[in-house]
Amino acid sequence: MIIWKDIKLSWRNLFRNKRRSFIAGTAIGIGLASLIFVDATIIGMKNNMIRSATASFMGEGQIHAVGFRQTLEVDRTIHRRGWVIAQLDQEDIVRHYAPRVTNFAMINSAAEVSSINLVGVEPESEKYLSQIDDSLEKGTFFQGDSSRDIIIGKKLAETLDVELDDRVVVTAAQAGTGELAQEMFRISGIFRMNIREMDSGIAFIRLNKAQELFGLGDKIHEIALQFPSPEYGSREELAFWNKFSQYGNEAVGWTKIMPQMKAALDLTDFSTYFIAVILFGVVALGIVNTLFMSLHERMFEFGVLRAVGTRPVGLFRLIVFEAGSLAVLSIFIGLFLGFALTYFTSRVGIDYSGVEFAGVTFRELLYPVLRVQQFIEYPIWVFVFTMIAGIYPAVYAAKMNPAKAMRKSL
Amino acid sequence: MDGSQNKKLIATESLKKVYSDDGVPVNALRGIDLAIHSGEFSAIVGPSGSGKTTLLNVISGLDKATEGDVWFKGRRLSDMKSSELSDLRRDHIGFIFQAYNLIPVLTVEENIEYIMLLQGIDKEERHRRVLDILREIQLEGFEGRRPPQISGGQQQRVAVARAMVSKPALILADEPTANLDSKTGESLLDMMRKMNETTGMTFVFSTHDPMVMKKARRLITVRDGKITEDKMKNEQ
Repeated sequence: MIIWKDIKLSWRNLFRNKRRSFIAGTAIGIGLASLIFVDATIIGMKNNMIRSATASFMGEGQIHAVGFRQTLEVDRTIHRRGWVIAQLDQEDIVRHYAPRVTNFAMINSAAEVSSINLVGVEPESEKYLSQIDDSLEKGTFFQGDSSRDIIIGKKLAETLDVELDDRVVVTAAQAGTGELAQEMFRISGIFRMNIREMDSGIAFIRLNKAQELFGLGDKIHEIALQFPSPEYGSREELAFWNKFSQYGNEAVGWTKIMPQMKAALDLTDFSTYFIAVILFGVVALGIVNTLFMSLHERMFEFGVLRAVGTRPVGLFRLIVFEAGSLAVLSIFIGLFLGFALTYFTSRVGIDYSGVEFAGVTFRELLYPVLRVQQFIEYPIWVFVFTMIAGIYPAVYAAKMNPAKAMRKSL
Repeated sequence: MDGSQNKKLIATESLKKVYSDDGVPVNALRGIDLAIHSGEFSAIVGPSGSGKTTLLNVISGLDKATEGDVWFKGRRLSDMKSSELSDLRRDHIGFIFQAYNLIPVLTVEENIEYIMLLQGIDKEERHRRVLDILREIQLEGFEGRRPPQISGGQQQRVAVARAMVSKPALILADEPTANLDSKTGESLLDMMRKMNETTGMTFVFSTHDPMVMKKARRLITVRDGKITEDKMKNEQ
């Protein structure tokens, strides 16, 4: 009964100085809105990073021979290739896959020489797995039947001082013998992905030509996988990984292929908490300041409340409830601001393109992601935190000597 | 404890209070021996700074004595915890202050029933008592108004109602008429005097208002923290 009265009293007290309460509520609300926005942006950034990393070339998962990822030895090709591909065709969770071969090579132009990673791809399947075709600045993505087409990155083209239709010579070691093989290619496309390693150190040729150049026959080094969503690539519990990690092969998701990105994503989660702690620290000072201002203004009134028989704990409760009332007001303001800001940016996007983080270059606009949880979990945090911040002024009020509180006016 | 203390509502013994808020000790009370009996209508008088308010604060447990003792209905205040003192005030003492000191965000009814809420009295009983006392102080129909919506005199009557509604044994009134015009002040005093006569409630005023002195049956004069005169008035 008295608790209900205290709640009513504290709510009304909040509006005794409407301007101050509104300013304090807005300050706390901005803290909440920032938290919602930061969280939504970090989710968007994570999605963007994962998409940038997986969709540009890597895929959401890969199958290799055991040890290939670590050594990139040209002899380590996928075992039982036919069985693997037949099984992949039957897998519901595999949307697309692209077989590849890859080897270190030297590329020579008339002007310059450079070391590269030469990748053989199947143009039809590769279109689904990578964005090389979308990133072409010049030329085409393996149009026609020419087996001597080569697609290189813009930086590499600059290094080699070559343009479309210029000829280059590629030298690579062959599997088994280790003997060097050389082929001449014609630049049929120049791409720019804004990923340093891709733009300066990789070149693509047709799969069968690469197999021939590397002396692999019909063997392949890698099958890049695309699932219904990148999230599948992080779900280690899927039976899929075990199924394809046999016969000397290993199937791994993007979190294992790029552990540094997984660590970076974990770091961003930590960053959210860190930002939250800083924001709440600032908010806490605001709350304490507001409550103390209100408390000092009403010192005599608190003295009267004590005089008429309110116990110290009753006064403590009243101040904590006032903090709670301030929290409720702030939450309404914060939810409104947070939703408006996040919704707006989730529609128009934030331009981070070209920025590199944890080895991943953002290639698309960053779209913050709104989640219901942000509008439940964070307001609860704000409420609890505001109540906790209210404890200090509440203890101060409870310990106040009633006579001293009233002395100024008596 | 002296056994005779039990018969008195309030008794003080060698009461001293020294303030040292600004580092400079100020002797507000310098050894007060006082007894207040049930049913009294007394006034503590004296010039400003004489120690009247301090005496009221100390005898109600709002402030602690530096030396000496206060007994309320035979219980020594210095033996009581802060929450026990709160309960004592809630159940036995009503306060009326100079500046009305109603809670501005609560309605007249809510202000009056606040102490009864602390006492855990049920809603219907609270409402009945509020209406009764509003009738007595001639403020029927004002229960839904908030303090800023009524006059100073009406606010002070509400403050009196708040102090008396829980039927305490003692009402301590600190300069209750100081902010009122003489007519309103006299009417308020008459009302309190009537209640004293009909209910036997004890009233102790701190004042230098001649009208309060005139209405009081006992005048306790305090100067420089000491009682210099204590006389019962003979009433016709």
